[in-house]
Amino acid sequence: MTEGEVLHWIKELPLGAAVRESRWMFAMGETLHFIGLCLMVGGLLIVDLRLLGFIRSVPMRTALAFLPFVIVGFLINLATGIEFFVTDPFMYWPNPAFKLKLTLIALAGLNALVFAVLDHRHKLVLADGKTTGAYVRLTAGLSLSLWLCVLLLGRLLPAFEGSTSFF
Amino acid sequence: MEFLAWLELTDFSVWLRESDWGHPIILCFHAVGMGMVVGISLMYSARILGYAKDFPLSAFDWLFGLAWFGFAMNAVSGVLLFAGEPRRLMDTPAFWIKMILIVLAGLALWALGKALHEDGRDVIAHARPDGATIAEAVVSQNARVAAIFSAVFWLGAIVSGRLIGYTISPPPL
Repeated sequence: MTEGEVLHWIKELPLGAAVRESRWMFAMGETLHFIGLCLMVGGLLIVDLRLLGFIRSVPMRTALAFLPFVIVGFLINLATGIEFFVTDPFMYWPNPAFKLKLTLIALAGLNALVFAVLDHRHKLVLADGKTTGAYVRLTAGLSLSLWLCVLLLGRLLPAFEGSTSFF
Repeated sequence: MEFLAWLELTDFSVWLRESDWGHPIILCFHAVGMGMVVGISLMYSARILGYAKDFPLSAFDWLFGLAWFGFAMNAVSGVLLFAGEPRRLMDTPAFWIKMILIVLAGLALWALGKALHEDGRDVIAHARPDGATIAEAVVSQNARVAAIFSAVFWLGAIVSGRLIGYTISPPPL
Protein backbone atom coordinates (compact mmCIF):
# COMPACT_ATOMS: atom_id res chain seq x y z
CA MET A 1 0.00 0.00 0.00
CA THR A 2 1.24 3.46 -0.79
CA GLU A 3 1.15 6.28 1.73
CA GLY A 4 -1.89 7.76 0.01
CA GLU A 5 -3.74 4.42 0.12
CA VAL A 6 -3.05 4.02 3.83
CA LEU A 7 -4.31 7.55 4.54
CA HIS A 8 -7.35 6.89 2.37
CA TRP A 9 -8.09 3.67 4.26
CA ILE A 10 -7.79 5.53 7.59
CA LYS A 11 -10.11 8.25 6.36
CA GLU A 12 -12.76 5.66 5.45
CA LEU A 13 -12.81 4.16 8.97
CA PRO A 14 -16.27 4.41 10.61
CA LEU A 15 -14.92 6.58 13.46
CA GLY A 16 -13.70 9.28 11.08
CA ALA A 17 -17.01 9.28 9.21
CA ALA A 18 -18.93 9.53 12.49
CA VAL A 19 -16.87 12.49 13.69
CA ARG A 20 -17.19 14.28 10.33
CA GLU A 21 -20.97 13.89 10.38
CA SER A 22 -21.41 14.85 14.03
CA ARG A 23 -21.75 18.47 14.98
CA TRP A 24 -20.13 18.19 18.41
CA MET A 25 -17.84 15.13 18.49
CA PHE A 26 -14.79 17.04 17.25
CA ALA A 27 -15.34 19.92 19.68
CA MET A 28 -15.82 17.47 22.55
CA GLY A 29 -12.59 15.73 21.56
CA GLU A 30 -10.74 19.06 21.58
CA THR A 31 -12.10 19.91 25.03
CA LEU A 32 -11.05 16.52 26.38
CA HIS A 33 -7.63 17.01 24.72
CA PHE A 34 -7.21 20.22 26.77
CA ILE A 35 -8.31 18.49 29.98
CA GLY A 36 -5.83 15.67 29.28
CA LEU A 37 -3.18 18.34 28.69
CA CYS A 38 -3.88 19.88 32.12
CA LEU A 39 -3.68 16.49 33.86
CA MET A 40 -0.35 15.81 32.14
CA VAL A 41 1.13 19.24 32.90
CA GLY A 42 -0.03 19.17 36.54
CA GLY A 43 1.35 15.68 37.17
CA LEU A 44 4.57 16.29 35.21
CA LEU A 45 5.31 19.53 37.07
CA ILE A 46 5.13 17.72 40.42
CA VAL A 47 7.11 14.66 39.30
CA ASP A 48 9.76 16.38 37.18
CA LEU A 49 10.31 19.39 39.44
CA ARG A 50 10.81 17.04 42.41
CA LEU A 51 13.26 14.97 40.34
CA LEU A 52 15.04 18.22 39.42
CA GLY A 53 15.48 18.97 43.13
CA PHE A 54 12.67 21.46 43.79
CA ILE A 55 9.97 20.97 46.48
CA ARG A 56 12.34 18.73 48.44
CA SER A 57 9.96 18.64 51.39
CA VAL A 58 7.95 16.19 49.28
CA PRO A 59 9.12 12.58 49.68
CA MET A 60 10.20 11.25 46.28
CA ARG A 61 7.76 8.33 46.51
CA THR A 62 4.91 10.78 47.14
CA ALA A 63 5.85 12.98 44.17
CA LEU A 64 6.01 9.89 41.93
CA ALA A 65 2.51 8.97 43.16
CA PHE A 66 1.25 11.70 40.79
CA LEU A 67 2.43 9.75 37.72
CA PRO A 68 -1.01 8.12 37.21
CA PHE A 69 -2.42 11.59 36.41
CA VAL A 70 0.20 11.94 33.69
CA ILE A 71 -0.61 8.50 32.29
CA VAL A 72 -4.38 9.07 32.36
CA GLY A 73 -3.91 12.49 30.73
CA PHE A 74 -1.73 10.93 28.05
CA LEU A 75 -4.27 8.17 27.33
CA ILE A 76 -7.07 10.74 27.01
CA ASN A 77 -4.92 12.72 24.58
CA LEU A 78 -3.85 9.65 22.64
CA ALA A 79 -7.50 8.63 22.17
CA THR A 80 -8.70 12.11 21.21
CA GLY A 81 -5.60 12.61 19.04
CA ILE A 82 -6.50 9.48 17.10
CA GLU A 83 -10.05 10.84 16.80
CA PHE A 84 -8.69 14.04 15.20
CA PHE A 85 -6.34 12.16 12.88
CA VAL A 86 -8.93 9.76 11.44
CA THR A 87 -11.22 12.73 10.76
CA ASP A 88 -8.82 14.20 8.22
CA PRO A 89 -5.56 12.23 7.83
CA PHE A 90 -4.65 14.02 4.59
CA MET A 91 -4.59 17.33 6.49
CA TYR A 92 -2.50 16.11 9.44
CA TRP A 93 0.01 13.74 7.85
CA PRO A 94 1.87 16.14 5.50
CA ASN A 95 1.97 18.86 8.21
CA PRO A 96 5.62 19.17 9.39
CA ALA A 97 4.50 20.30 12.87
CA PHE A 98 2.43 17.09 13.18
CA LYS A 99 5.36 14.84 12.24
CA LEU A 100 7.69 16.66 14.62
CA LYS A 101 5.07 16.44 17.38
CA LEU A 102 4.81 12.65 16.94
CA THR A 103 8.61 12.34 16.95
CA LEU A 104 8.92 14.32 20.18
CA ILE A 105 6.15 12.26 21.83
CA ALA A 106 8.11 9.12 20.90
CA LEU A 107 11.30 10.65 22.36
CA ALA A 108 9.50 11.65 25.57
CA GLY A 109 8.14 8.09 25.83
CA LEU A 110 11.61 6.64 25.26
CA ASN A 111 13.03 8.97 27.91
CA ALA A 112 10.41 7.77 30.42
CA LEU A 113 10.95 4.14 29.40
CA VAL A 114 14.73 4.30 29.95
CA PHE A 115 14.08 5.90 33.33
CA ALA A 116 11.68 3.08 34.26
CA VAL A 117 13.92 0.30 32.93
CA LEU A 118 16.95 1.61 34.81
CA ASP A 119 14.71 1.35 37.88
CA HIS A 120 15.55 4.75 39.27
CA ARG A 121 12.09 4.81 40.71
CA HIS A 122 13.03 2.02 43.08
CA LYS A 123 16.34 3.62 44.09
CA LEU A 124 14.74 7.03 44.54
CA VAL A 125 12.40 5.77 47.25
CA LEU A 126 15.35 6.00 49.63
CA ALA A 127 16.38 9.47 48.58
CA ASP A 128 13.85 11.53 50.56
CA GLY A 129 15.04 15.06 51.11
CA LYS A 130 18.22 14.51 49.12
CA THR A 131 19.30 15.95 45.80
CA THR A 132 18.96 13.66 42.83
CA GLY A 133 21.84 12.64 40.59
CA ALA A 134 22.78 14.26 37.30
CA TYR A 135 21.15 11.54 35.17
CA VAL A 136 17.84 11.86 37.02
CA ARG A 137 17.87 15.63 36.64
CA LEU A 138 18.70 15.31 32.95
CA THR A 139 15.75 12.93 32.47
CA ALA A 140 13.38 15.27 34.29
CA GLY A 141 14.60 18.33 32.37
CA LEU A 142 14.25 16.46 29.07
CA SER A 143 10.75 15.33 30.01
CA LEU A 144 9.56 18.88 30.78
CA SER A 145 11.21 20.34 27.66
CA LEU A 146 9.94 17.65 25.30
CA TRP A 147 6.35 17.84 26.56
CA LEU A 148 6.42 21.64 26.40
CA CYS A 149 7.46 21.41 22.73
CA VAL A 150 4.74 18.79 22.11
CA LEU A 151 2.14 21.19 23.56
CA LEU A 152 3.41 24.14 21.51
CA LEU A 153 3.56 22.13 18.27
CA GLY A 154 -0.01 20.96 18.84
CA ARG A 155 -1.15 24.53 19.26
CA LEU A 156 0.78 25.55 16.13
CA LEU A 157 -0.54 22.71 13.91
CA PRO A 158 -3.16 24.88 12.17
CA ALA A 159 -0.53 27.54 11.37
CA PHE A 160 1.49 24.94 9.44
CA GLU A 161 -1.52 23.51 7.64
CA GLY A 162 -0.84 23.30 3.92
CA SER A 163 2.95 23.44 4.26
CA THR A 164 4.99 20.29 3.77
CA SER A 165 8.21 21.43 5.45
CA PHE A 166 9.27 23.99 8.06
CA PHE A 167 11.45 25.94 5.62
CA MET B 1 -19.09 50.03 22.51
CA GLU B 2 -17.29 53.08 21.11
CA PHE B 3 -14.18 52.03 22.97
CA LEU B 4 -14.45 48.52 21.54
CA ALA B 5 -14.92 49.87 18.04
CA TRP B 6 -11.82 52.01 18.53
CA LEU B 7 -9.88 49.07 19.97
CA GLU B 8 -10.79 46.98 16.94
CA LEU B 9 -9.21 49.56 14.63
CA THR B 10 -5.92 49.87 16.52
CA ASP B 11 -2.84 48.63 14.66
CA PHE B 12 -2.41 45.77 17.12
CA SER B 13 -5.97 44.53 16.70
CA VAL B 14 -5.73 44.64 12.91
CA TRP B 15 -2.35 42.92 12.99
CA LEU B 16 -3.74 40.16 15.23
CA ARG B 17 -6.54 39.43 12.76
CA GLU B 18 -4.44 39.64 9.64
CA SER B 19 -0.99 38.28 10.49
CA ASP B 20 -0.18 34.59 10.02
CA TRP B 21 1.68 34.22 13.31
CA GLY B 22 0.30 36.70 15.87
CA HIS B 23 -2.76 34.71 16.84
CA PRO B 24 -1.14 31.22 16.99
CA ILE B 25 1.81 32.49 19.07
CA ILE B 26 -0.42 34.19 21.64
CA LEU B 27 -2.53 31.00 21.76
CA CYS B 28 0.67 29.07 22.57
CA PHE B 29 1.22 31.18 25.68
CA HIS B 30 -2.46 30.80 26.57
CA ALA B 31 -2.23 27.00 26.37
CA VAL B 32 0.95 26.77 28.47
CA GLY B 33 -0.56 29.07 31.12
CA MET B 34 -3.72 26.98 31.14
CA GLY B 35 -1.70 23.82 31.75
CA MET B 36 0.11 25.45 34.67
CA VAL B 37 -2.94 27.00 36.36
CA VAL B 38 -5.46 24.22 35.82
CA GLY B 39 -2.91 21.41 36.09
CA ILE B 40 -1.60 22.55 39.48
CA SER B 41 -5.13 23.37 40.73
CA LEU B 42 -6.36 19.88 39.78
CA MET B 43 -3.42 18.20 41.55
CA TYR B 44 -4.14 20.38 44.59
CA SER B 45 -7.81 19.35 44.56
CA ALA B 46 -6.80 15.70 44.31
CA ARG B 47 -4.47 16.12 47.30
CA ILE B 48 -7.16 17.86 49.37
CA LEU B 49 -9.63 15.10 48.49
CA GLY B 50 -7.26 12.51 49.94
CA TYR B 51 -4.83 11.60 47.15
CA ALA B 52 -1.16 11.23 48.21
CA LYS B 53 -1.87 12.17 51.81
CA ASP B 54 1.78 12.50 52.79
CA PHE B 55 2.32 15.20 50.15
CA PRO B 56 2.95 18.24 52.41
CA LEU B 57 0.41 20.98 51.71
CA SER B 58 3.16 23.55 52.19
CA ALA B 59 4.78 22.33 48.95
CA PHE B 60 1.72 23.65 47.14
CA ASP B 61 2.62 27.18 48.28
CA TRP B 62 5.63 26.92 46.00
CA LEU B 63 3.69 25.23 43.20
CA PHE B 64 1.04 27.93 43.34
CA GLY B 65 3.81 30.45 42.67
CA LEU B 66 4.09 28.71 39.30
CA ALA B 67 0.33 28.60 38.92
CA TRP B 68 0.16 32.37 39.50
CA PHE B 69 2.84 32.86 36.87
CA GLY B 70 0.67 30.82 34.48
CA PHE B 71 -2.36 32.87 35.48
CA ALA B 72 -0.55 36.15 34.80
CA MET B 73 0.56 34.78 31.42
CA ASN B 74 -3.06 33.94 30.61
CA ALA B 75 -4.40 37.26 31.82
CA VAL B 76 -1.98 39.07 29.49
CA SER B 77 -2.44 36.71 26.52
CA GLY B 78 -6.20 36.71 27.17
CA VAL B 79 -6.40 40.51 27.03
CA LEU B 80 -4.34 40.48 23.81
CA LEU B 81 -6.64 37.86 22.25
CA PHE B 82 -9.65 39.91 23.32
CA ALA B 83 -8.17 42.99 21.63
CA GLY B 84 -8.27 41.09 18.34
CA GLU B 85 -12.03 40.52 18.39
CA PRO B 86 -13.55 42.64 21.18
CA ARG B 87 -17.05 43.18 19.81
CA ARG B 88 -17.56 39.64 18.55
CA LEU B 89 -16.38 38.24 21.90
CA MET B 90 -18.67 40.54 23.90
CA ASP B 91 -21.58 39.10 21.89
CA THR B 92 -20.59 35.49 22.62
CA PRO B 93 -22.22 33.98 25.73
CA ALA B 94 -19.51 31.30 26.03
CA PHE B 95 -16.95 34.09 26.53
CA TRP B 96 -18.90 35.55 29.47
CA ILE B 97 -19.52 32.13 30.96
CA LYS B 98 -15.78 31.46 30.78
CA MET B 99 -14.95 34.74 32.55
CA ILE B 100 -17.49 34.01 35.29
CA LEU B 101 -16.18 30.46 35.76
CA ILE B 102 -12.60 31.76 36.11
CA VAL B 103 -13.72 34.17 38.82
CA LEU B 104 -15.63 31.36 40.55
CA ALA B 105 -12.60 29.05 40.34
CA GLY B 106 -10.50 31.78 41.97
CA LEU B 107 -13.11 32.22 44.70
CA ALA B 108 -13.19 28.46 45.30
CA LEU B 109 -9.40 28.42 45.72
CA TRP B 110 -9.62 31.37 48.09
CA ALA B 111 -12.32 29.61 50.13
CA LEU B 112 -10.20 26.46 50.13
CA GLY B 113 -7.22 28.37 51.51
CA LYS B 114 -9.41 29.92 54.17
CA ALA B 115 -10.89 26.55 55.18
CA LEU B 116 -7.40 25.04 55.44
CA HIS B 117 -6.23 27.95 57.55
CA GLU B 118 -9.08 27.28 59.98
CA ASP B 119 -8.25 23.56 59.94
CA GLY B 120 -4.60 24.34 60.66
CA ARG B 121 -5.00 23.94 64.42
CA ASP B 122 -5.90 20.28 64.09
CA VAL B 123 -2.82 18.38 63.17
CA ILE B 124 -2.43 14.64 63.45
CA ALA B 125 0.82 12.72 63.68
CA HIS B 126 1.19 10.33 60.81
CA ALA B 127 3.64 7.42 60.68
CA ARG B 128 5.37 6.82 57.38
CA PRO B 129 6.34 3.31 56.24
CA ASP B 130 10.02 4.16 56.73
CA GLY B 131 9.37 4.79 60.42
CA ALA B 132 9.50 8.59 60.30
CA THR B 133 6.59 10.57 61.71
CA ILE B 134 5.18 13.59 59.92
CA ALA B 135 2.52 16.03 60.97
CA GLU B 136 -0.48 16.09 58.70
CA ALA B 137 -3.12 18.77 58.71
CA VAL B 138 -6.69 17.57 59.02
CA VAL B 139 -8.70 18.49 55.94
CA SER B 140 -12.24 19.55 56.80
CA GLN B 141 -15.41 18.91 54.86
CA ASN B 142 -15.47 22.59 53.83
CA ALA B 143 -12.03 22.32 52.28
CA ARG B 144 -13.05 19.19 50.36
CA VAL B 145 -16.17 20.85 48.98
CA ALA B 146 -14.09 23.87 47.92
CA ALA B 147 -11.60 21.53 46.21
CA ILE B 148 -14.40 19.90 44.20
CA PHE B 149 -15.81 23.29 43.18
CA SER B 150 -12.38 24.54 42.13
CA ALA B 151 -11.90 21.54 39.84
CA VAL B 152 -15.42 21.78 38.39
CA PHE B 153 -15.09 25.53 37.69
CA TRP B 154 -11.69 25.15 36.01
CA LEU B 155 -12.93 22.31 33.82
CA GLY B 156 -16.02 24.39 33.02
CA ALA B 157 -13.78 27.30 32.02
CA ILE B 158 -11.95 24.99 29.59
CA VAL B 159 -15.23 23.72 28.09
CA SER B 160 -16.65 27.22 27.65
CA GLY B 161 -13.31 28.48 26.31
CA ARG B 162 -13.38 25.83 23.60
CA LEU B 163 -17.02 26.64 22.87
CA ILE B 164 -16.11 30.28 22.13
CA GLY B 165 -14.47 29.16 18.90
CA TYR B 166 -17.56 27.22 17.87
CA THR B 167 -20.24 29.73 18.80
CA ILE B 168 -18.66 33.12 18.00
CA SER B 169 -20.45 34.93 15.19
CA PRO B 170 -18.72 34.96 11.79
CA PRO B 171 -16.57 38.03 11.12
CA PRO B 172 -18.41 40.92 9.47
CA LEU B 173 -17.66 41.33 5.76
